[in-house]
Amino acid sequence: MASVAEVRAAVDAALQQVTESQAAIQAAREKLGEAQQSLAAALDGSANDAVGAAHASLSQADQQLEECLGATLLAIEQAQTYTATL
Amino acid sequence: MSLLQELGAQLRATSDELPTGLVTVAMERLRSATDLLNWVRQTSVDPIGVPQLGNAIEHAEHAAAALRLAQDAIAAYLAAVGLSGDPGGGDQDWRQGLKRSEEPAPAPDAAPPPPEKLGSWWRKRVEELTGEAPPAATQSESAPEPGKTDTAELLRKVAGGVRSGDRAKLGRDLHAVSASSGLALSAVTSPVLRRLAGDLLGHEPRADDVGRLRSAAAGRVKSLLPGAPPAVLETLIARVCRAPAPEGAQTHPADSAVTASVLTGVLLARLGRDESSLDPAAPEPLRQPDPQRRPETDG
Repeated sequence: MASVAEVRAAVDAALQQVTESQAAIQAAREKLGEAQQSLAAALDGSANDAVGAAHASLSQADQQLEECLGATLLAIEQAQTYTATL
Repeated sequence: MSLLQELGAQLRATSDELPTGLVTVAMERLRSATDLLNWVRQTSVDPIGVPQLGNAIEHAEHAAAALRLAQDAIAAYLAAVGLSGDPGGGDQDWRQGLKRSEEPAPAPDAAPPPPEKLGSWWRKRVEELTGEAPPAATQSESAPEPGKTDTAELLRKVAGGVRSGDRAKLGRDLHAVSASSGLALSAVTSPVLRRLAGDLLGHEPRADDVGRLRSAAAGRVKSLLPGAPPAVLETLIARVCRAPAPEGAQTHPADSAVTASVLTGVLLARLGRDESSLDPAAPEPLRQPDPQRRPETDG
């Protein structure tokens, strides 16, 4: 039979996964920033459509990661509120 | 090296270093967390953050797609200026999850982390999946919980057990780790599975490869995990092939992690590789030169 301690442990284990995903997202955003700088330096002055598409995709990826991070923060807050009621 | 060649090399390196692997790892950890919270809240009206995690996964999926589009755009540019669009370093995402995470060392006077309380929950499910009972020493309520294990090392052990068809060893290896170490298998295996499936198929896995991968792996997975719901393997294969995952009944949070690790071992065995090839420092394995190569059917 499950106990409050087990429920809390399961939520904690889930939050640990979320925290680790946040670390991966942060690291991804740093690498993305480096890639954007590298691309901008290498392709400065190019009018090729593909270059514009690459820049736009990288910006979009970064924005999505930022929103992903925001959603994980809300999820953690809600899960912690729940465990506080147990 | 000409100026143009130098530019091409720089762009290929930028494309290869885009963090697709990190985003995949993050996405799998979020899926694993969602599975766990869904399991907890089955009969509760409180969402416990699950809808927010669903949003987070969706954003991560969009980010991964945007990164792939950026890689395609760089390849298109390289082709337009007369350079090969193929990235030079190959798909390196699979190494990302296998790298040991660099956690800061705890302060000397810091209290030890609290023991995990999910050990019996994890071992019970491992027993149901593998049919192998946990060792007697771990069955007592007072038995100490295992500490954190390197998940990449666990994956190599599981792959070794799968390769030798040794279900008892598979059960022992899975019973010997904590729930959090076991659940982390999901994040580690995802990019590895896509890479191994690509090597087996001779091309990047596509939606129409689901049947071929299923026939190459399902029988062996079933023999090693007789208690695993078939929908778990179907979902994993669909994700590998970036095909829509089947809608189905909710599964236990441990199922995806365990089944993914066994599927990794099965694909490795099909490729004739051993578990040492899962070392992130291992040299790049040779890919099949024949693009028409078909994976042999399971059975």
